[in-house]
Amino acid sequence: MRLTINGVPRDVPAGDHETLLAVIRERLQLTGTKEGCARGECGACTVLIDGRAAYSCLTLAAGCADSAVTTIEGLGRADALHPLQQAFIEQDALQCGFCTPGQLLAAAALIARTPRPSEDDVRVALSGNLCRCGTYPKLVRAVMQAAEMMRAEP
Amino acid sequence: MSAARGSNPVGAPETPKVLGGKLPRIDGPLKVTGRAVYTSDIALPGMLFAIPVRSTIARGRIVSIDANAARKLPGVKAVYHRGNIKAFFRTAPPKGFSGLIDEKRPPFEDDEVRYYGQYVAVAVAQTMEQAKAAADAVRVQYAAAAHNVGKQLGADKPMKVESERGDADKAFASAPVKVDQVYITPTEVHNPIELHATVASWEKGHVTLYETSQAILNHQDVLHQMLGVPVENVRVITHFLGSGFGGKLWPWTHSILAAGVAREVGAPVKLVVSRQSMFEAVGHRPRTQQHFRLGATPEGKLVSLSHEYLNQTSELDDYKEDCGEATPFMYSVPNLRVASALSRGNIGTPTAMRGPGAVPGLFAMESAMDELAIALKMDPIELRKRNEPTQDESNKLPFSSRHLLECMQVGAEKFGWAQRDPAVGAMKRDGLTIGWGVAACSWGAMRSDAQASVEITREGTAIVKTATQDVGTGTYTVLAIIVAEATGIAIDRVDVQLGDTRLPMGPISGGSWVTASVIPAVSNAARDAVKALLGMATSGPNPAFKGAKPEDLQLVDGRVKRKGEASSGVALGDVLARANVRSAIGHGKSATTMGGAESRKYSLHSYGAQFAEVTWHPQTARLRVSRFTSVIDAGRMLNPKPARNQIEGAVVMGIGMALLEESRYDQRYGAPINSNLADYMVSTNADAPPIDVTFLDYPDLVLNEMGARGVGEIGLAGTAAAITAAVYHATGVRVRELPVRIEDLLGA
Repeated sequence: MRLTINGVPRDVPAGDHETLLAVIRERLQLTGTKEGCARGECGACTVLIDGRAAYSCLTLAAGCADSAVTTIEGLGRADALHPLQQAFIEQDALQCGFCTPGQLLAAAALIARTPRPSEDDVRVALSGNLCRCGTYPKLVRAVMQAAEMMRAEP
Repeated sequence: MSAARGSNPVGAPETPKVLGGKLPRIDGPLKVTGRAVYTSDIALPGMLFAIPVRSTIARGRIVSIDANAARKLPGVKAVYHRGNIKAFFRTAPPKGFSGLIDEKRPPFEDDEVRYYGQYVAVAVAQTMEQAKAAADAVRVQYAAAAHNVGKQLGADKPMKVESERGDADKAFASAPVKVDQVYITPTEVHNPIELHATVASWEKGHVTLYETSQAILNHQDVLHQMLGVPVENVRVITHFLGSGFGGKLWPWTHSILAAGVAREVGAPVKLVVSRQSMFEAVGHRPRTQQHFRLGATPEGKLVSLSHEYLNQTSELDDYKEDCGEATPFMYSVPNLRVASALSRGNIGTPTAMRGPGAVPGLFAMESAMDELAIALKMDPIELRKRNEPTQDESNKLPFSSRHLLECMQVGAEKFGWAQRDPAVGAMKRDGLTIGWGVAACSWGAMRSDAQASVEITREGTAIVKTATQDVGTGTYTVLAIIVAEATGIAIDRVDVQLGDTRLPMGPISGGSWVTASVIPAVSNAARDAVKALLGMATSGPNPAFKGAKPEDLQLVDGRVKRKGEASSGVALGDVLARANVRSAIGHGKSATTMGGAESRKYSLHSYGAQFAEVTWHPQTARLRVSRFTSVIDAGRMLNPKPARNQIEGAVVMGIGMALLEESRYDQRYGAPINSNLADYMVSTNADAPPIDVTFLDYPDLVLNEMGARGVGEIGLAGTAAAITAAVYHATGVRVRELPVRIEDLLGA
């Protein structure tokens, strides 16, 4: 099947039954997307499908053939971090870092549809992404900061 | 790991104030870009996948295992069980922090099933899906026996006294004011978001294990014993850990299985534990049942304290949840008795979970203290003031540094405690009833053995190496800070190497003692390296400072110069070049406090005060934690930013402990029935209130030269007790069995 991941079209020899998560991690070796429960409960596998946050563990890869998929590897570049990535570092909105890619993509989807989110908007938008280290207060601050940075940019 | 690597555009502030500054963690750029490689991300050429077969009974015997159908499935390489795999050995009794494993029976040692989810076979295939299909196709016949997964705990032996002074029973009998209650904490599961995982790869009798380990050296020692290979043939690597909270301290059976299976099939094997198995076979905080009896004078002076408790453990292993850890020294009381026993059940073996012992123990004790304050009609902070000890009364040692009352006072000011109306349900806001509660907390301050090396290179960088782990607490950053502080080399030029058993012996990531333990070792190593560098600057055929003595020189901002001279000196790289050496290497050690001189002279603990506000909507029984204040006395903060994050995160976990978390067992089949993250609820972002964290920042110089203690665990201690005290204040209902349920409050 043909998938467009991070703007790059890729032909993947995946079966129709394979999840997007399995294809991303096992076939494409894009391991920034994590598996924490494999049943849509923890949010570690969150990616963007056409700009919307989705649990890739509950999504069949075959259903994404006509969509643009963004993983953490496509959010920013190492030499040009996305404002969300910068804000996560500045606000220390992470500890072990395992849920971080999913949090970032859930936050990116929020800001794309709500450029001026309230703190409660952020809490709700990120509540499908568990952080067992409990960095929630810092996550809220980081997303608010990033939204502001992004509004200031042209 | 270095701050320089991965070009971090936000990076460190312009002029980094190393110690006590607010540095971003140096592994941040890797973690926010998905480039931090965790164990389950490892892919090796030819790697196969293993999935264990889990028992579907909680007690009984395996009669037969039929893997014929499973072996014929696509991609399946093998199915192993007791009948066809090289047997594993047991470990010898542990020594210090070596040879530690909680579930001591090796996998497949016998045909006895002791808990639901015990591994009885393992399937190996080319993909994870194929392995899963094969594991599901294995047919196991059992002879089931009656199991016990009941909630009511019962001692398997008479209570054993842990601490005693005076006569607690007699003093209680004649005490004018009494509290006599049983407090229960449920089975709680660590549930780090990163699943436990092992990738095992053998080459010529040597095995490399990519692990999710909080203690790689112990892991190496246990695996060498259980696999029956020389210790030097086992290498364990954990570069990034998706947290652990204690659950990843000691090896579990899946790791031994993965290594054993990889040895059998002759290819690397990856085994990722499922979320369901995380409730069964990798430990949990066991259920506790704690009987507290407090006796006091009408003036609120404690005269008797009795703490008798049970914790559940597995049939085969004696895991003790040390609930009485803080009881003997927390308050001044002349008559005290702490005693405990174990209660057995057909459950997986428990293990340490964040703040083991003290967290459930302090839930009970601080709840009892709150109940005593209510019985006395006394402010709960005042009650603590009246029972503040001047020394550790359990061993008559002075406290190295104890500022509990100041924590209470600062917290009270920040929280606005003076505005509290103590009457139940008296405080209202926006149609909600407000409840305020307070609890004290404590956690041991310890240091363990550690070694480190620091290498100063020609490029002007420093490389620090120690075989510890970063569980997410910021150890990479702390190590860089210590080296930068001791050498004057900028923090973004410090490369930190950890998480590999080939490095110098480092501490386990447990007990909140990594920071305290690595400070002496790394500081000494850094100074030793500087000393070596200055020696090279003054000796040899072509020294940079001919005729000078090393003690006349210093290393400042990466340059060697004479003390007291304004000259710019010589770049350290040039000093090394002139000496024609690659680098200057130093070594350092830390010695443990456990059994050490300090612990014979001082009582070493951190303290804190937790203040909770809950809002209660009586019509719907909706309960929320709406505000939290935490004041912590944990020595000097090396890097307050991640430290604050630790406390906030622990409070968030404490809200889960108070209101959400319990692993429940199905009485019919003995299975943990809510073994997933939808039914075992943990706090979400929407559950987290504003959390105000303050560090008192008194250095504890008994523990190490920087006066730093750890902060990984103390934030969880006392949190649930503060919340249930607030629940009582709002509703009049005292919940003594966690978590607080809506059903508990319907009558309010």
